[in-house]
Amino acid sequence: MSTHSLTPTEIAPPDPPPPATPKRRSRRPGRHLAYWLIAPALTFMVLVHLIPSAAGIALSFKNLNTFTFSQLFGAPWTGLKNYDAILFDSANPLHSGFVDAARNTVIYTAATVTGTLAGGLGIALLLARQFPGRRTVRTLMLAPYVVPSFVVAVLWGFMWQSDSGIINKILVDYTGILHDRPTWLLGHNSLLAIIIPSIWRGIPLAMLIFLAGLETMPRELHEAAAIDGAGPWRRFRYITLPLLRPLIAVQLLFGVIYSTYQFTIPYVMLGSNPGSDADLIMTLIVRQSFSNNLIGFGAAASTLLMLVMLIWVAVWFRAFRRDLEAS
Amino acid sequence: MRKSRTTALMAVALAVLSFFVAACGSSSDDAGNNDTKSNSNAAPAKDLKGQTVRLWIMNNGPKPVADTQNIVAPFEQKTGIKVKVELVGWDVQLDRIRNAAVSGEGPDVTQAGTTQVPFFAALGGFENVQDKVSQIGGASAYAPGIWKTSQVEGQDGTWGVPWFTEARTIYYRKDALQAAGVDPKTAFSSQEALKATLEKLKAVKDIGGKPIAPFGGPGKKAYDLVHNLMPWVWDSGGAELSSDNKKSTINSPQAVQGVKFATDLVGAGLWDKSMLERDGQQVEDQFKGGRLAVFIGGPWVLQSAKRADDDTWSAAARKNVGVAPMPGGANSKGFTFIGGSNLMVFKSSQHKDAAWALIKYLSDDKVQAQYANLMGMFPARLKPQEAEGTVDADHEAFYAAIKDQGRSYAPIAQWAQVENAYKNQFGQILDEAAGKGQLSDQDIQSGLDKAAKEADGLLAQSAG
Repeated sequence: MSTHSLTPTEIAPPDPPPPATPKRRSRRPGRHLAYWLIAPALTFMVLVHLIPSAAGIALSFKNLNTFTFSQLFGAPWTGLKNYDAILFDSANPLHSGFVDAARNTVIYTAATVTGTLAGGLGIALLLARQFPGRRTVRTLMLAPYVVPSFVVAVLWGFMWQSDSGIINKILVDYTGILHDRPTWLLGHNSLLAIIIPSIWRGIPLAMLIFLAGLETMPRELHEAAAIDGAGPWRRFRYITLPLLRPLIAVQLLFGVIYSTYQFTIPYVMLGSNPGSDADLIMTLIVRQSFSNNLIGFGAAASTLLMLVMLIWVAVWFRAFRRDLEAS
Repeated sequence: MRKSRTTALMAVALAVLSFFVAACGSSSDDAGNNDTKSNSNAAPAKDLKGQTVRLWIMNNGPKPVADTQNIVAPFEQKTGIKVKVELVGWDVQLDRIRNAAVSGEGPDVTQAGTTQVPFFAALGGFENVQDKVSQIGGASAYAPGIWKTSQVEGQDGTWGVPWFTEARTIYYRKDALQAAGVDPKTAFSSQEALKATLEKLKAVKDIGGKPIAPFGGPGKKAYDLVHNLMPWVWDSGGAELSSDNKKSTINSPQAVQGVKFATDLVGAGLWDKSMLERDGQQVEDQFKGGRLAVFIGGPWVLQSAKRADDDTWSAAARKNVGVAPMPGGANSKGFTFIGGSNLMVFKSSQHKDAAWALIKYLSDDKVQAQYANLMGMFPARLKPQEAEGTVDADHEAFYAAIKDQGRSYAPIAQWAQVENAYKNQFGQILDEAAGKGQLSDQDIQSGLDKAAKEADGLLAQSAG
């Protein structure tokens, strides 16, 4: 029990409370309502996003294979062995497959995002001009985007067929541009065979976004520049492109993420074993995890991919922060 | 700041709570299932009436569910057990059966590919039916190679009951061979004879004005690519694994020569390159449609030629289809892959006795013959198999393939994965052959070395 006597400071009347403390504010019914309103979304996100992600990361440290598959989270702990196997252990049979898939994914992503943005911008610039039937053309240009990826892959799979596909018919039979019939779905060509449909499908969305940007762009800038003697290229280079930068930035962010996680098009067109020329990280992860039951390996590869994407988001944010703030 | 911290803490707490709920749920479920599983095994026979057995089947024949349901109708009538047939596509069956075995949420009985049985057994989700198989004649009622597919190496038990069998053999167009001036009796007697036949067929550019290629087989998109290439490897004296099944031997000099036989066909323009872009079904349809003079297929193709409702056949191809045993290598009688499907009972089944009663019924010789006929397969049991083999010359060729040339893979849990590793590299090698033309021994060796390395890694897996 304490026996000390009270000091004058302790006897003095307390200061009046501040007019609005955070505690009092939190008692307001509106704040409770806000928590209730975000609770479903938060719960859903935790259940379908955070927990599976955490579980995936946990599994990446496990020796989860054919013999331990049924144990799942009870599988033996293997530390960083899966990561070591993927990144550094050239003696590991899965290492070279990962390196090939990583290389192909970088090429695929760079080509797809560049092609989509360039194509989308080019078509948007054409469609921003006035011409008869513009609305119809715009609507038709959206067609590839409304077709599901699976259907796109099936259609292009037929089109690339070396013997009966329309592409070789045009290149060899109708125009004579090529003498021999290339086999687009085999070997080195197969990476190109999945890049082109991916660009084809991505262009409409990019076009739509750029078109919206072009139509809200102030005309006075172009008119003033034209009066000052700037030609079309200079107006595009110094007015259009800088004003579209925030839109390019956002599409770059999502384009890289979407392309890196692409699975449907390569899987449907080339099968579960696309070969070292066209295997992507996602087809590799799915094959090793679910066909080969190497869940630990697949989880480690997925975690690495997620880390790379987080780094990409950080780099992107640094590069385009000013544009975001300006917009 | 404090508010955001509170929100973050709430989110973390919720996540941790949900995680524990999920983890506890799964472990208690497992325990619960194990208990009910062992108890249900003791269900008396008189209680079987009125029970429903769920049976998962794959795409067997053109009307898989209706055909199977018809086959089991007399069983339902006689026993009062209802059979619910459910279709699971071959493309997803591995995932679904595996998940059902692990989670305990599945049907009572499933069809499983013969090469998958050891893997499924290793999951621990299936019944060992060793003590019951004497009721269906045991091992002696089946050819040894087929019975082996129900076993797991190193374990004493029987995890599947062979249901039906298939083997791959040569299909050819009689009219194309005639146009090429080749006698079908000698056309496929050896690998050299096959090559010479294809060379002559190459000169036959079309039949009745319709272009025809000498030979075609699927490439990397075929789920069964390994079944298609291994016969060449076996013919050359190669093998998929060492005799103790511990190491891959797919990169042996003999295996290189076997694969080279196939890539040489591509390089020489005898194997239509465009077929390598297709999957197995698409290539089969190309043969049926009259685009190929020779291809390698299973017994269902023969059966489908007799079905007027199969409109993938061109009239000429349907009329002129012929079958021959697989050609032999320099020192071999010729090999082919034999597979098929087995029936497995889930440990989680609540109706194990009824499930076994169904398997017994499906193992009856007459029912076997009836079902195999419907699907265009061969029965798994010796007696009906033998009877089927005497139907006509084409069936004789198939029966000879099953009996004399049939070979399957090691019954080890990792085989499906090893097969996947081989498939990947076989596909890559065929891709290269399509691009480069002739491949050197070194080209093939390098691809097969990669396959062997990956397979060795998979074989070295353990529970530790």
